[in-house]
Amino acid sequence: MNKEILLLLSCGILLVMTGVYMLVLYRNLLRLIIGVEIVAKGVTLIFLSAGVYRQDIGFIQSLLVTFIIVETVLAAIMLALAVRAQKIHGSLDIRNLSKLRG
Amino acid sequence: MLLWVLLGLMVLLSIGCCIFKDLLYVAISLATISGVLALVLFLFGANIAGVFELSVCAGLITVLFIATVSLTKDSDQKVETRLPVYFVPLIILIFIGIDYFVIQWVAHSMPASVVPQPSGTFQRVFWELRSADMLGQIGLIGAGVFGILALFRVKAKEKKHE
Repeated sequence: MNKEILLLLSCGILLVMTGVYMLVLYRNLLRLIIGVEIVAKGVTLIFLSAGVYRQDIGFIQSLLVTFIIVETVLAAIMLALAVRAQKIHGSLDIRNLSKLRG
Repeated sequence: MLLWVLLGLMVLLSIGCCIFKDLLYVAISLATISGVLALVLFLFGANIAGVFELSVCAGLITVLFIATVSLTKDSDQKVETRLPVYFVPLIILIFIGIDYFVIQWVAHSMPASVVPQPSGTFQRVFWELRSADMLGQIGLIGAGVFGILALFRVKAKEKKHE
């Protein structure tokens, strides 16, 4: 395979793992949202490597535009939830959100 | 060489997001990752996706993050994690090891090249082949807007009660 494709894929996987690391180990809600964003950047790179491999950049671009919209809506909703959680609990620590349990 | 530098910068900034204490620095690092990603997209000819990444992710989401950090007044909060921060380089080394084995597996299991079957230009794919998906995207944007409105409408009701 082309070296550039492997490089893109490798960096994408590293970013996904770094984001998952943040999601698993951090307790601040804003850091968790940033973890999700880092995972999204990694997935974007993996999409791009797939497009370069298939030599079909047009199709991958249209998928990426959709993905960026999804990412933005997700970030906006999660940040609004974080603001509300901070107003209610006085902190962004996810351990204070145990009231969400059913 | 430029690709190596850009991708290395992205990985370093993502590690910075794990290490920085101030959330403002973390938000700026995330914006820089988006900017560098936009450059990578431009390098591979994905110009429209690059413009979206630059304007929406590096611009809009960063503004939202910085506004949230200032609204929650939480920018100088200490890093609370289940593992001490000095474990981060060790974890990253483990990740690089896993990454190496995954890439070796991919390089050996995938064919070296595929017969290109281009779907056409971005305009053709987006407006013709995936025209039905436009409804989904409009619905998604609507869901985002109404979701945020719903979250802040509760606040207005609470104010009335007060």
